Amino acid sequence: MASVAFSKVEKSFGNTKVLHGISLDIADGEFMVLVGPSGCGKSTLLRMLAGLEDISGGNIAIDGRVVNDVESKDRDIAMVFQSYALYPHLSVRDNMGFSLRLRDEKRDVIAERVGKAARILNLDPYLDRYPRELSGGQRQRVAMGRAIVRDPKVFLFDEPLSNLDAKLRVAMRSEIKALHQRLKTTTVYVTHDQVEAMTMADRIAVMNEGRIEQLGEPLELYDRPANLFVAQFIGSPAMNVFEGLYRNNAVEALGAHWPVSGAHAAQDQRVKYGIRPEHLDLAPRGIPAEVVVVEPMGAETELLLKVEDQRITMTTHGRSSIGPGERAFLAPRLEHVHLFDAASGARL
Amino acid sequence: MNKFVREARLWLIGIPVLLWTLIPIYHIFLFSISTKDSAFSGRLWPEHPTLRNFGIVFREEHFYLHHFWNQIWNSLWIAAATGVITLAVATCAAFAISRLKVKGGRTVMNAALFTYFIPAAFLAVPMYKAMGTYGLLNSRWSLVLAMVTLASPYAIWVLKQASDKLPWELDEAARIDGATPLQLFRLVYLPLMLPSLVAIGTYALLLAWNEYLYAFLLLSHENTIPLAVGLGHFLSSDDSPWEILMATALVYGLPPAAIYYAFRRYMVGGLTSGAVKT
Repeated sequence: MASVAFSKVEKSFGNTKVLHGISLDIADGEFMVLVGPSGCGKSTLLRMLAGLEDISGGNIAIDGRVVNDVESKDRDIAMVFQSYALYPHLSVRDNMGFSLRLRDEKRDVIAERVGKAARILNLDPYLDRYPRELSGGQRQRVAMGRAIVRDPKVFLFDEPLSNLDAKLRVAMRSEIKALHQRLKTTTVYVTHDQVEAMTMADRIAVMNEGRIEQLGEPLELYDRPANLFVAQFIGSPAMNVFEGLYRNNAVEALGAHWPVSGAHAAQDQRVKYGIRPEHLDLAPRGIPAEVVVVEPMGAETELLLKVEDQRITMTTHGRSSIGPGERAFLAPRLEHVHLFDAASGARL
Repeated sequence: MNKFVREARLWLIGIPVLLWTLIPIYHIFLFSISTKDSAFSGRLWPEHPTLRNFGIVFREEHFYLHHFWNQIWNSLWIAAATGVITLAVATCAAFAISRLKVKGGRTVMNAALFTYFIPAAFLAVPMYKAMGTYGLLNSRWSLVLAMVTLASPYAIWVLKQASDKLPWELDEAARIDGATPLQLFRLVYLPLMLPSLVAIGTYALLLAWNEYLYAFLLLSHENTIPLAVGLGHFLSSDDSPWEILMATALVYGLPPAAIYYAFRRYMVGGLTSGAVKT
């Protein structure tokens, strides 16, 4: 159990700077998710915490101790890799006990701790198998077991579910979450999947181009995205965003007046108007749009519409009787409208 | 139809290659079970096949065979030592260059490749001088060292390539698990490299086993020469005992065949399956 603190952490590969002074405090027992598109630097940050990459600038501290020059093995961390990184020549039992064996632990201590971890992860029947004899999900659990056995201060996960199929990913997601609730070990989890981030995290750091765009609890990011990048990255389907002119408590865009409530924009300011698909309603006096595609999914229906040349998605609960080519009238829910500065992208 | 053409092509290549390989071996076998009189009869199978020649070989009952067991032991000793030392040198080099990324690794690799521009025969005289300087002439070590020198560059090259294919995450996982470089080498690297190590060990071993020129040059005493040179002595008279020479050659050819057979599984490899998702 430990806190983790990044302060002004920088990383360069040659002349290319990939992290521009990241500062981030992770509390003891917290489940922190680093999320962002590929190349945003999230994995690099995690690998620096693991001691697998040198730190070009700034400090990383675990439990108050700066670990910049501490070897991986002395940082008391455990990491789960995307590719599992199981030792192919060792059985599941030996894979899980490997770190203890390196520490010259007694055989019965190793056996006991491996047994305990195996029970937690339901790996008992597979202890004598080899990695090649396991399915993807089982290998992933062994990789987690290898981390648990060490009882580290911090768990690091580097896109651990990316190699699993969709169904298994959902199952493992809740398994990891449940594991964290049980062990309460500080966890840093890297993913590019915002759904994973939303469902698992205590707090999320959304990263882009080597910077943290926003740090906050999942619903905070969803409700009050700090900028356009976060607004469009968090939420599925993504938020509708288009540009317009703010005037008289409405945004003039796409040949219509889009209502705004209590905005902080100046008169005649160029703004980006953001509204999530689930915050659009169909109403007789709304903004006219043309239905392009209807995607019924049972519990909800996704509509792809066009207002002038702008594509707008909306989701409605239940089923929709509307068909492609028909006209629909859109009414944004005022309290869920987001306004961003057109130039900087910052929230207004 | 397409399949038929493809099969036919394979056969057209396969059959000549098979014959090309097998006919000389059959020839050796034929000689070795023939009596001296019938050896050159030109038959495909001798009238009176006999194992007498092998008896002569094993009991050292011929002038050229007085040191047979001694010489085959020399061959074994030299081949095994070459295999072991080459493996030790090349494995450490490959591990250091490929996994520990030591500085100058690329230069070593380029140098290793460069050695192939120099034919081994070209180095024979310098090697002879060097061994003479160190007083190693006529010692089995001189041949072992020479063979290690010749085998190592290729061995390093191949093992480095094989090392590069091991998933890098395994090293990182081991480092986080607390492995020192030596533990990484012993507990992760060596077991995973086993197929390549066996293949390269076999290569070096057979290179030394089959060597004639250097053995002939560096060793001259009846008691220190390997069997390859001993076989050469058969040809020093006008009336060579071909049937006994061939029987000895057949015995000489058996260990490599046995080694290949024993390790054929490793020549293919595939131990790393299941390590990472591919």
